[in-house]
Amino acid sequence: VDQVVTPEQTFPVTPAGPAPIIFQNQRPQFRRMVLRGALLELITIGFYRFWLATNIRRHIWHSTSVEGDALEYTGTGKELLFGALLALAIFLPVYVVYFLIGIEAERMQAFASVPFGLFFYLFAQFAIFRARRYRMTRTVWRGVRFWMTGSGWDYAWRSALLMVLVILTLGLFLPWREAILERFKMRHSHYGDLQGRFEATGWEFFKKGIWIWLAIPGVMIAVSVVVAILAVVVWGTGSTDAGRMAGALAPVIFWLSAPFFYAAFKAVQWRWWVSGIRFGDVSFACTIRAKDLMGLYWKVIGWLLLILLLLGAALAAVAVVGALSANGGTFEQRLMFASQQWSVLLPMIVCYVFAALMATAVMRIYLVHDVVERIAETSFVYNLTAAEDVTARGAAVNAVGEGLADSLEIFGF
Amino acid sequence: MAQPGEAIYFDGQSNRKRQVEIRFGGALEIVENGQLAEAWPYGDVRRVDSAPGVLRLMCVTTPGLARLEIRDAALQQVIEAHCRALDVAPTRSQTLKVVVYSAAALASFVGLLVYGIPLLADRLAPLLPLSFERRLGDAVDRNVQFIFRDRRCEPTAAGNAALQRLADQLRQASDLAIPFELRVLGTRVENAFALPGGKVYVAHGLLQKAKNPDEVAGVIAHEFGHLQHRDVLRSLIKDGSTGFLLGLLFGDVFGGGAMIAVTRSLLTNSYSRDAERDADRFSVETMHRLGRSPKAMGELLQRIEEPIAGQIPTILLSHPLTKERLATMTQADRPVSGPELLSPTEWAALQNICR
Repeated sequence: VDQVVTPEQTFPVTPAGPAPIIFQNQRPQFRRMVLRGALLELITIGFYRFWLATNIRRHIWHSTSVEGDALEYTGTGKELLFGALLALAIFLPVYVVYFLIGIEAERMQAFASVPFGLFFYLFAQFAIFRARRYRMTRTVWRGVRFWMTGSGWDYAWRSALLMVLVILTLGLFLPWREAILERFKMRHSHYGDLQGRFEATGWEFFKKGIWIWLAIPGVMIAVSVVVAILAVVVWGTGSTDAGRMAGALAPVIFWLSAPFFYAAFKAVQWRWWVSGIRFGDVSFACTIRAKDLMGLYWKVIGWLLLILLLLGAALAAVAVVGALSANGGTFEQRLMFASQQWSVLLPMIVCYVFAALMATAVMRIYLVHDVVERIAETSFVYNLTAAEDVTARGAAVNAVGEGLADSLEIFGF
Repeated sequence: MAQPGEAIYFDGQSNRKRQVEIRFGGALEIVENGQLAEAWPYGDVRRVDSAPGVLRLMCVTTPGLARLEIRDAALQQVIEAHCRALDVAPTRSQTLKVVVYSAAALASFVGLLVYGIPLLADRLAPLLPLSFERRLGDAVDRNVQFIFRDRRCEPTAAGNAALQRLADQLRQASDLAIPFELRVLGTRVENAFALPGGKVYVAHGLLQKAKNPDEVAGVIAHEFGHLQHRDVLRSLIKDGSTGFLLGLLFGDVFGGGAMIAVTRSLLTNSYSRDAERDADRFSVETMHRLGRSPKAMGELLQRIEEPIAGQIPTILLSHPLTKERLATMTQADRPVSGPELLSPTEWAALQNICR
């Protein structure tokens, strides 16, 4: 019997107005993949990272859909591995030249080679741009790929120069740096024959975010001062002691409030960024709030503290067992002797690596999967009909940029 | 023959959604408005990622990114039955391949770290011209001068003369082939070290801790041993290439820095233990030729090692005085047969060399 498939069933009815971005939450599968991947990374001394990064992206991409059509990630782990090997071939001579120049500079003046480290910042920016280009050309929607043009070096020097301005202005220039760099990236981005652009301005970002820049020192000072005054008035502490107490309190307040402010900042940044993206006449909007992200950050902090605690306990246990099995000398001497033995250091290294992998897994679950989910779920696409009959253009590019950045960035355009 | 069914087709040329009918003929036929649009051989059809519940297909022999999407579960089963190579490379066997190749890579890395790099350093160091080593040493020297800029030692004329006399005797006895420059650092740290290219530094603290010229002579001869064997250059080659290999291996996936530092210090420790043993032998032989006690240096090091509460002597960090080393020096001890290396006045001048 023919199953009757009505067009309504296969084509979700386009609502008048914006189309939501749907994220199909398959978190248990993602969690299993990331934990299993961490173990495989341990077994394969890290080589599995190329395949894990690929699997994570595939999962995120195909979980995300617009008007019933999921994104598809077409990159492979093998591509990333070859990209990394090629990057190494490029990097080796650069490293040698850097080393030789460094020696010559140090001969003339102690620590004169430090500025050459800045070159590596430039190099990293180049890699980030090229890595984005790779990820874009591996992204397919409705059988048509995204693609990118533009020179990595053009991006790198812009990025580095603007960073100098950000540092000189204590971060106040950040919105304009982001806007300029996004405009550069987006005008070189395409979906088929639709060209991208970025229309949000630095000033808009500045207006939305300036309160955070002001509030961080504000809260630190206000709370410290209030506590100091309370100390003087209520407990009759001397004013010098109260001042010292306030001074010691300020960094504590900073770290306690950091997740709140960071969540607020990221929410502002995401809303601004998504609202600025254009592909032809297609535009986007995002309504994410700080509270959507804050819980995730606290969960990450909790997990990382737990992992750190367990790691500390494990390392201490190994060291004590090592010291007890050594003979002669005071406990300190035996501890020092033990700390130079392979039989003690190797378990310590394994503990450390295992903890680092677990920490990475936690961050991948909360900061990659969950953050993307929250953002997708609060984002909309306007005027999707403008992307209804797009002609395929552009070709896939190699993964050397990813190799240079060592596939550190899982996600992020 | 299986019943045809509905699907969505993207032809890869444009992103237009095309409502098509799937027919199961000699190949997977994609029919639009009664017209055959495309026929995919069953063996060439592959599954690609899609939203849960949606079967998305591609054809490996079709150029471009043409995709076929099937939402109907019954039709999905029919397609799975027809296309035998839907998942041609199961991910599990792929993962196993990665694991096996990684194990091979690990074996080769370990081989390189344990045998390859030390061999490379041993063979390469003598081939590099001394002038290169001196340039390297000059660069390091700048940093030493900077670090100890407040602890300069202005040597007295008498102290300097005593130091040079000691050094000359040691050079003659040891056949040191490398031109050296011996200097005193005005710091209380009890240490001595050799830089690449021939500069040897002795800290004032070490001179003051010593009880007789033989103890100092043994330490200087030990550093001469490092010069003769070009140990700093060798360890530099080892450190550099080990660091590079490890960095390559771990990428930055483990927050690499700490990891690399730990492993590297571990490896260089085992390297330097061999180098220390050789330098000790050099010192012992030199002292024998001078007819003086090789044990004196060991006694000095032992005195330095005696733990000062809450403070680890710096010399221990790079030159751990193992029981084995002390035993070797004690074993090599012979009755004194040569003249005193310095007169009591010269010795006093050396101990107070810094103005």
